[in-house]
Amino acid sequence: MTSRRNLSRYTGYFFALPYLILFTGFVLLPLFYGLTLSLFRWEMLSPLPAQFVGIANFQEAFHDNYFWQALGTTLRFVLLAMPPTIGLALLIAAGLRAAPTKRQSFYRAAYFLPTIMTISVAGILWRWFYNSEFGLFNAFLAPAGVKIPWITDVRWAMPSIVLMTLWWTIGGPMMALLAGLQNIPISYYEAASIDGAKPGTQFWRITLPLLRPVLLFVVVLNVIGSVQVFGQVYMITRGGPELSTRTLVQYIYETAFNNYRMGYAAALSWLLFVLIALFSFIQFRLMREQ
Amino acid sequence: MRLRRNQPSNQGMGLAGETMLALGAALFVLPIVLIAITAFKPDAEIVHFKSVLPQTATTGNFKEILGNPEEIPIFRWFLNSVLVSSAVALLVVTVSSMAAYAFARLDLAGKRWIFPLIIGTLMVPGQVLLVPAYLILNRLGWLDTPLALIIPAGGGAFGFFLLHQFFLGIPKDLEEAAELDGCSRWRIFWNVVLPLSRPALASLAIFTFVGSWNDFLGPLVFLDSVDKYTLPVGVALFQTSYYAEYGLTMAAAALCTLPVVVAFLFFQRFITQSVALTGLKD
Amino acid sequence: MLRMVKRFNAENPDIQALMQRMDWATCYNKLFVAGMGGRAPELFVVHTRAIQRFARAGFLRENDDLMSGANGIDLADLDANVWKGVEYHGKHYGLPLDVHAMGMYYNRKLFREAGIVDAQGTPRPPTNREEFLDAAKRLTIPGSGGRPDQWGFVFTNWESNIYTIMRQFGGEFFTPDYQKCIVNNAENVAALQFCVDLIRRYKVAPPPENFDSWIGFRQGKVAMAFEGIYMLADLQKQSDLDFSGAPVPQMGDHIAVWADSHNLCMRSDLSGEKLAATWRFIKYLSDNSLDWAAGGQIPTRPSRRNSPRFQQMSVQSAFARQVPYVNYLPRLPFIFEFQTEFGLALEKALRGRATPADALQVAQDNINRIIARDREANEAAGRGISA
Repeated sequence: MTSRRNLSRYTGYFFALPYLILFTGFVLLPLFYGLTLSLFRWEMLSPLPAQFVGIANFQEAFHDNYFWQALGTTLRFVLLAMPPTIGLALLIAAGLRAAPTKRQSFYRAAYFLPTIMTISVAGILWRWFYNSEFGLFNAFLAPAGVKIPWITDVRWAMPSIVLMTLWWTIGGPMMALLAGLQNIPISYYEAASIDGAKPGTQFWRITLPLLRPVLLFVVVLNVIGSVQVFGQVYMITRGGPELSTRTLVQYIYETAFNNYRMGYAAALSWLLFVLIALFSFIQFRLMREQ
Repeated sequence: MRLRRNQPSNQGMGLAGETMLALGAALFVLPIVLIAITAFKPDAEIVHFKSVLPQTATTGNFKEILGNPEEIPIFRWFLNSVLVSSAVALLVVTVSSMAAYAFARLDLAGKRWIFPLIIGTLMVPGQVLLVPAYLILNRLGWLDTPLALIIPAGGGAFGFFLLHQFFLGIPKDLEEAAELDGCSRWRIFWNVVLPLSRPALASLAIFTFVGSWNDFLGPLVFLDSVDKYTLPVGVALFQTSYYAEYGLTMAAAALCTLPVVVAFLFFQRFITQSVALTGLKD
Repeated sequence: MLRMVKRFNAENPDIQALMQRMDWATCYNKLFVAGMGGRAPELFVVHTRAIQRFARAGFLRENDDLMSGANGIDLADLDANVWKGVEYHGKHYGLPLDVHAMGMYYNRKLFREAGIVDAQGTPRPPTNREEFLDAAKRLTIPGSGGRPDQWGFVFTNWESNIYTIMRQFGGEFFTPDYQKCIVNNAENVAALQFCVDLIRRYKVAPPPENFDSWIGFRQGKVAMAFEGIYMLADLQKQSDLDFSGAPVPQMGDHIAVWADSHNLCMRSDLSGEKLAATWRFIKYLSDNSLDWAAGGQIPTRPSRRNSPRFQQMSVQSAFARQVPYVNYLPRLPFIFEFQTEFGLALEKALRGRATPADALQVAQDNINRIIARDREANEAAGRGISA
């Protein structure tokens, strides 16, 4: 038995090595470099060389109103978008599971299709939808005398973004949850039915516990993704109106690629990372198997 | 051990349920259909939007995009995208499944701290890596080649995380049975675990393919030559940013999306639920 | 442009120019990243508003020696104010190819319907504030449901639209040494108030969507809009639109209009054959800038503008009448942050969320903070103040 265990350890490395090499070279190394940048003041396209400034960038962030505004906007987005996305995805996945086999793949394809769209295309499309004077949605509402300021009013802008996000991103979690649901042996449900358990009970006692690993995966990734929301906001509102939808990643992007302040952008990225890590640890704790 | 299809025999859905499902599906697909229809309208008509269907249908938008191979080598871009995205999907599924299996089932020194580290990188915003990755790729001489788009993708944590969670959910009995039968680790992996994981593997392949296909920032920054561009990037770049040419944009969008839609519709057969076996005693 | 490049390649077999087209945001980002890896192209186009930033970074090669050399260009055949735009610390860093000034596009059909025509029945575009307001009022037609079916005017690009009007009112933005931002002054406030009034008091313009409002003009629902000459190609696609171009009306005591230019710039490390070849290409494009005009641009070579061919391009030549008094955006290294602050102030005022004075004050404070930060960074690196 000893030889088998020893063998097993090397086997483990054999399996994991290719991935670990790629990971170290193209994720860890750049990551380390990128984070080190946060301790420097380095403005590209400036005749000044990079200067070590310690935590000055972080201090600037704490006093930067735009940073706090972007942070708040991001949190608002996550809170508005995550629950409906996961809830709806689960609902649709459950629906697909129960759908007749012949048509299931057809429906599934329909719900996943928006996810395939490139961000630039999806963004332009919805920006046209949301234009309050000449856009599609208001064109349909015009006969009723309703004109909604989808993306020109600060109260409507964020919900509009969330709506588009639902359409665009529900496909991913839905597919993962569907795969997870399909993994639960049908015999469990049949046995429970025989024992007289209602569908609600079946959901809480069978589905949810068995779905836990996949659900955790889906929720964690969705939150991580939501905290990094950028593409669709950039395309539809460009952070407006009045910077009310400018998320943290957009602020970082503009700092790095429009203002060329690489050191400060790196520090902001580091803060974003801390935020994400915080969220993830909380979630892992909450959903961990006892 | 009786194997049977893991599909509910009584369709507990009913007509009402399925109608809702179908309605939702139609709503989701509608904007995409709109793109395809709008691509056949002349620019002047799109701006007015008097009707959903084109009043004077035209292939002018498509002609303008497809008929200009010098400035818009669209077939070249298409091939590039197919090559890169397929390679990325293959690479990711291969290395991620092997590594995920190692972490889920095998002994590995340092597993307890390496795992959170890998998962932790999921939380890193992509922009942080962009500039350093560019410098590294420059050193390797991979810039302006497909390698710059393919190889780094293999290090992503998404596939690893997905498959790891999935492998955890597979009952150990099957693997233990094979081990007792004297199978090597590799054979257990290849002949037992992977077939059981087809839905997850297929899903990962599709996600990765689509993600790579739609990747904009990577090809933009790592490629220089026009004939090396991938499709979404090439198509996006030939437009100016001063005015929204809706007709061309929609036509370009239709062209970009069509291959992926077709591929998806074709490959999703492999994610059919009939593959999931119960493998338990009744 | 591609046709010009191909012609050049054909006529100059020893030089091959490869053109790449992309949108502006992408282009600048790519330039910046490419510069880091030493892979920037030999020749690229930079807007006048960005010249300062690239020149300060040592990214561009000056071209005064080439301009006065054997294969040079007569300075008299270049608009003086445009040429000054590419100057930095006494040297010039790009060759302006064009001046894309903003102008007024107006819908001739709507003008005729409203009776704003001259004796022959030709539509008469306004030339000053009174005529503009009068026309706008007559061209705004109420519709059912209390909202106009047709608007006299619409704000498309806030930044360029309102910058123009502010300069026409005589407002300044910075002290001459660029050490202090003074955007909150009486003239600018009055100009911004005038713009706000167009929406809220005179009600001749709808609440703004920024650039997307342009669709309204294309749909024929708006009579007048201020936009750059580069929008011409877009309008020409709208076959059912009867439009023309004219200089922007003079709303204040000064005459001014927003503009920017495309400048042909060279990488700073060019030398020898590469340099000569690149310069030949640049000169070729400039000499042939009439072809560039055909695509909806205004060449910055007076000799080209005086040609009959250009005079026949009605919109371009109408807009070109403004060249002597074009105003570029302030010359700043941190141009993007300025645009963000400025744009935010304009948006708040136009939407009625802040008074013009308050909005401009916030912008002024923030910009002064940025100036201080920039100065501090320069001093810390021992380079002194660098404007």
